[in-house]
Amino acid sequence: MTAQTQQLKKKTWSRFLYSDETVGHVFAFPFIFGFICFSLIPIVMSFYYAFTNYSLGSKQATFVGAENFTRLLSDEIFWKSLTKTLQYVLFSVPLKLTFALLVAFVLTRSSKMVTLYRSLYYLPSLVGGSVAVALVWKQLFARKGLFNSILVDAGLSRINWFGDEALAIYPLILMSVWQFGSSMIIFAAGLKEIPESYYEAAEIDGANGVKRFFYITLPCLSPIILYNLIMQTISAFMTFTQAFIITGGGPNNSTMLYALYVYNQAFKYNNMGYACAMSWVMLIVMSLITLIIFKTSKMWVFSESES
Amino acid sequence: MKTKRVISKTLYHVLVLAFGFIMVYPVLWMISGSFKDNAEILRGTLSLIPQNLKLSNYTTGWSGFGGITFATFFKNSFVITTVATFGCVVSSALVAYALSRVKFRDRKFWFICMLATMMLPTQVIMIPQYLIYYRLGLVPGYVPLILPYFCGQAFFIYQMMQFMQGIPKELDEAAKIDGCSKYRIFTSIIFPLLKPSIVTTIIIQFYWKWDDYMGPLLYLSRPKSYTASIAIKLFADAASVTDYGAMFAMSTLSLIPVFLIFLVFNRYLVQGVGTSGLKG
Amino acid sequence: MKKKMASLFLAAVMGSTVLAGCGSSKDAAQDTTAAAETTEAAAEDTAADAEDTAAAESTGDAVNLRMAWWGSQTRHDRTIAAIELYEKENPDVHIEYEFYSFDDYFTKLKTLVASDEVWDIFQLGGNFPEYMDKICPLDDYIDSGIVDVSKFSEANLATTQTTDGVQLGLTNGINTYGIAYEPAQFEAAGVDLPTDDWTWDDYKAAADAIAENTGNFGSSTFLTSDFIAGCSTYIGQQGSLGEYSFFNLDLTGMGFDDPQMLTPYIQMRADMINSGSYPDAGASAEVTNIENDFLVTGEAAMTWVAVNQFPTIYDACQDQGRTLALATVPKVTKDGNSGAMMQSSQMLCVSQDSENKEAAAAFISWFENSKECNEILQAERGIPANEDVRADLSANSTEGQKIMYDFVDKVSQFPTPDKINVLSPAGQDEVVDNYLNYIQQVASGELTAAEAADKTYADAEAIFQ
Repeated sequence: MTAQTQQLKKKTWSRFLYSDETVGHVFAFPFIFGFICFSLIPIVMSFYYAFTNYSLGSKQATFVGAENFTRLLSDEIFWKSLTKTLQYVLFSVPLKLTFALLVAFVLTRSSKMVTLYRSLYYLPSLVGGSVAVALVWKQLFARKGLFNSILVDAGLSRINWFGDEALAIYPLILMSVWQFGSSMIIFAAGLKEIPESYYEAAEIDGANGVKRFFYITLPCLSPIILYNLIMQTISAFMTFTQAFIITGGGPNNSTMLYALYVYNQAFKYNNMGYACAMSWVMLIVMSLITLIIFKTSKMWVFSESES
Repeated sequence: MKTKRVISKTLYHVLVLAFGFIMVYPVLWMISGSFKDNAEILRGTLSLIPQNLKLSNYTTGWSGFGGITFATFFKNSFVITTVATFGCVVSSALVAYALSRVKFRDRKFWFICMLATMMLPTQVIMIPQYLIYYRLGLVPGYVPLILPYFCGQAFFIYQMMQFMQGIPKELDEAAKIDGCSKYRIFTSIIFPLLKPSIVTTIIIQFYWKWDDYMGPLLYLSRPKSYTASIAIKLFADAASVTDYGAMFAMSTLSLIPVFLIFLVFNRYLVQGVGTSGLKG
Repeated sequence: MKKKMASLFLAAVMGSTVLAGCGSSKDAAQDTTAAAETTEAAAEDTAADAEDTAAAESTGDAVNLRMAWWGSQTRHDRTIAAIELYEKENPDVHIEYEFYSFDDYFTKLKTLVASDEVWDIFQLGGNFPEYMDKICPLDDYIDSGIVDVSKFSEANLATTQTTDGVQLGLTNGINTYGIAYEPAQFEAAGVDLPTDDWTWDDYKAAADAIAENTGNFGSSTFLTSDFIAGCSTYIGQQGSLGEYSFFNLDLTGMGFDDPQMLTPYIQMRADMINSGSYPDAGASAEVTNIENDFLVTGEAAMTWVAVNQFPTIYDACQDQGRTLALATVPKVTKDGNSGAMMQSSQMLCVSQDSENKEAAAAFISWFENSKECNEILQAERGIPANEDVRADLSANSTEGQKIMYDFVDKVSQFPTPDKINVLSPAGQDEVVDNYLNYIQQVASGELTAAEAADKTYADAEAIFQ
């Protein structure tokens, strides 16, 4: 072998090693590996089950065609849970994000107390969906709970939170907003990334706090806002714990969030096939919503690396 | 002018504190519940001060079940959580770099796959996934609880991608001119600059994994290997007796590690502490 | 081009395996050390399994059994103590146990059903038809003497049989429904105390009067008892003895033809909700557990109980200085059927997946028959079905337990049909959930009681299609 061919070989090797195709696949390998091994098969299986009457207890799965999907059309609870979930998402996501952004913004000043304050605001997010929190939440909104005793003291009449179909969803929304910690931290990290010099420049230009927030903070943070918006929307659609531990879906299915209904069908009522069909409907709905967010995001997301 | 400043500053602190108290009230209620007896908890008094301090909730709670104490459960949780969090940070950063900075052919496809994994309810994926691990002979054991975290977590991959968008492309270009390969760019430029994003990932992932309970439920079987999240649920039984006091006591203890992690890493998220290389 | 792409991809994957190899082997190494140094558990899991199979194959002496149950801390501790006793008495048997809360137990069971590895010995409630494929009947073991049922009455054995008489398991405890009430509240409202032949009309009148006079609920609700103990019993109480039942005996269809037989009961519930003598949806959501049932908190005069829960709430109320009593479920007519049934609270079964079915059956037999074992368990799962054990335990029972024992004695004397159905079909949960919602809709005027009855009937019928 001549030195020339060796060099050539080395050159092709290094060209191969450093090409975008190689680098991309090398770095994406953990995900590709995990996706193919542990996600792809379950996803395909759930798609197949959507066309069967598979049930966990009996293990039998007979092909039933699109029956599960036609059954959805006439399932009142399905429609109710779909509308209730949309209502939940529409209320909880914007509230949670606004709140998280606001708190993150207020608490980024470099002050000794900030760490303490942020801990206070983050603490609720650390108790998750534990039984203890469920009990507290029920207690707060109970007929003789804290909210109602405040109302009574103010001379108003009590509200039957968990007994009223129109109201029962709000305590759940409030709980989701209350646990805004993870969005807040992500915002905080984003805020930290905004170069101080931008603010200094703005200050020299005479921009006040509000102006600085709208002209510097928001645009610089827009990729993070987009991220939080998409993730919170997806996870709001997937909300299960709150409804499961606090209301169990009642009264009269008015808090029957979609994931809870999927769970009930899959595990409680033993209709795994039907649950899979519901899940795929959900997947389509969420993809559409995500797509819309992505399309509109082009108008308001400001990307440093592309500008 | 100075007094005005003092007033506005005090107002800021008072408001933030007052609202903070409302925020943590339910948590405080839980903590105070860990010192109350069952009857007082169930009576639903909203007072934070227990009528008679009952410390025995902690001893009965800690004693656990059938001779296995909470020391074991907490230890198990800690191991799983630490290893999984480490794996999640490293693998998510790698994948995020590929998807956001490297223009390879099928990256859009993998990005869509990544979002799709978040859009199917876990309830329907759970059992098929279990069967895979079972066929691989990994059940019961810790591997199914940890391995997926070494494959990147969509939530954090996407988050890091968004943060990478905030890192100017010029840095890459400059490094490239200096002769850095894409591998070097990742290790010496992008990864260090991702610090705030990594810190958030650690805080959030640590808590999620600590709190995760469906995974351990499915993949662990011997009580000795249970995590704290499962063990705490063992106090509750809807059809007979629930020891709320002990459950609250252990829930309170379970808050400590996640809160500590938060306190340790939170420092890095405050402006002016630490430098991020981007500034100045 | 395509070929080039494919090879490129392949190379990329291979390359990345090598590259990621460094990364992931480090991870893996860390993995193992972490697992090794801190928890024996995971390793032990597999090791124990391997040991177990090896031992069973080579010597045939040592037997490893897996067992699981759900319950509370007391139950866990007591059951573990009993298992340890058994292991001491039978050194060649080792029992690996798992325990969960109720919901988790069934989630776990369903995964194990999917992977054909159900525990050798497992606990089931009234929902066993779902798991019929996984239950190994005990009949052979009873014939061969491994399982001893000599101290079990026919009626008690029947609580865990299919209608064809296949013995699915042995019951952990005999149970039946009743109404727990506080006599003091009845007296305060000037209402007669319940009698053994009181009717639903008496019940409603009493509840309404209590609600009106004391402001409390006449009756509380607890979980889904209203369907099983109320609505479904209501059907069995009509016609001649054994003429109707909610589901038919073979669980292949309905046990009654006219949906309107349900209407009066549904109407009664809706009326009671509207008059404030029965909790509405909001109030019932506050009841999470038998311990914070409105009867226990002093906000209701009655509540449904499965009688094995009675001692718990009796003790809880006694601590508050209140006394409870136990009444039979009301009837449709004074001299009509009681509709009452002796049921099994839960049973222990042997799994079809088990490789040591015989040893598992032997354990179950010991668990239900041994006096020493049951002294440890203290009837926490319900009234023992073994007559001797029961006599033994009732001799030194608490006040609440004594009321429970007497009540069960009384109810077991009520005339019952020759054949009864103690099973609930798979899918019943959905019927129950819908039924409870229909009642709310009737109360709010969205539905009439007759429509709700039709809908409930249609839902139940749909199970069998």
